Amino acid sequence: MRPIWLRHPTPTASENRTPVDAVIDPLEQARRGLQMSLSDLWWRYFSIGGMSSELEVEAIMYRALVPSESDRDFLAVALNERFSELGGDHPIPYSGDDETQLE
Amino acid sequence: MSDDTYDDFALHVAFGGSRATVAVRGEVDLLTAPALAGVLNSLVDAGCDHLVVDLAGCRFMDASGLSVFVGVAARMRKPDGTVAVRSASAFIRQILDITHVGDFIVYEASEVSDTSSSSLGPERQVGGDLGAGAGRAADVIPASSRALVRSSTDVIDAALRLVTALAEATVENADGVSVTLERHGRLMTAAATNDKVLTMDKHQYETGEGPCLDAKAEGRWYYIESLDDETRWPNFVPLALGQGIHSILSSPLLANDRPQGALNIYSSKQGAFGTHEQELAALLAEQASEILTTAGPEMTDQQTNERFVGALTERRTIHQAQGVIMARNNLTDDDAIKSLFRAARAAGVTVLAYATDLVASSNSDGQRE
Repeated sequence: MRPIWLRHPTPTASENRTPVDAVIDPLEQARRGLQMSLSDLWWRYFSIGGMSSELEVEAIMYRALVPSESDRDFLAVALNERFSELGGDHPIPYSGDDETQLE
Repeated sequence: MSDDTYDDFALHVAFGGSRATVAVRGEVDLLTAPALAGVLNSLVDAGCDHLVVDLAGCRFMDASGLSVFVGVAARMRKPDGTVAVRSASAFIRQILDITHVGDFIVYEASEVSDTSSSSLGPERQVGGDLGAGAGRAADVIPASSRALVRSSTDVIDAALRLVTALAEATVENADGVSVTLERHGRLMTAAATNDKVLTMDKHQYETGEGPCLDAKAEGRWYYIESLDDETRWPNFVPLALGQGIHSILSSPLLANDRPQGALNIYSSKQGAFGTHEQELAALLAEQASEILTTAGPEMTDQQTNERFVGALTERRTIHQAQGVIMARNNLTDDDAIKSLFRAARAAGVTVLAYATDLVASSNSDGQRE
């Protein structure tokens, strides 16, 4: 499968502009690279069982809110499935990936 | 003069749990409204569910003050959140009502203690159950997501009614103002100041022609100085003249730079709108566009509902698969969902696809036994 490169955030859309870029989460970097709207991300996240609101997800992306391990995994899955649609291979790690063997 | 009003203006914020009371002193106008908006919006963003704006010390409020209320009500995304106005003078209350801004705020009597939110005692809890669009899905959805429905048509329409009311009041010779929007893939009138303009809009939708349609389609404004000499729209023009309408000003509404509709101002006079009126119309169209842009891509209640039902069906399947994994491997729900995510990734399929197979295989297992 061809790798998907995360694009540098484009400063054109207002959604992609923030005065403090340094504090965004890697999940947010991925979302921008995918050019996926926050709303689309939330719907995917919600469809697989995520329980936080869109506003809370936004807060997580900007590190204003610390997600639980599984909440973070829900977001990772939502992003990874979009990557998969574009031919990528689950670039966002899930919790415990480093210590556990993949089955 | 305006210096005086600015000096006089003050805000006082009192907190009580998830409730905050903002006391306003002085005049809320173009100069001071941004300060009020800033404070109220920050409170909403900070998780304040019940905002009370105490207007006892507020002498005057103009349209910019009204738009603050529209903005903050739209921003209040908690389903049980309220925006209440306390001690509004008869004058302020009247303009809140005329412009329908009062439709989604709660009026509160002046003597209510800050801590007892139960004694809100709204004379009317308006806006009704804005989450009702989610229908049967409501109790399974995390509370805050129901706000998606709230942020759609109700609040937008109320804000647009405000713009049309303002346009009718401020644009000289305007005999009626409406906003046309594309919804459900067809054009409809989202706000109209009277029945005549509603009919005028309808004539355009039915004949499939008219300045409002063209303004929307082409994203540019149309000023028809005199319908009597108009040769475009041969089917619509006679109907308009029959209603006694002689000039029309249609300005396009853009959301995210895409034409979404039009602001239509109708007049019974020929050549009704001069340069000043045209500029005013452009300004108001810009405001309406801003409302549509802020609201985001608009979804009808039905679309939202369908999307929720779809999402809930997926959630149910994934939840069932989670249960199967829990039972088979004696795992906690947290570990089971993680295991499901990993298994789907290893299999190179979506979580939903994996869950669907797992549930199906577990069902056939059950039948064999």
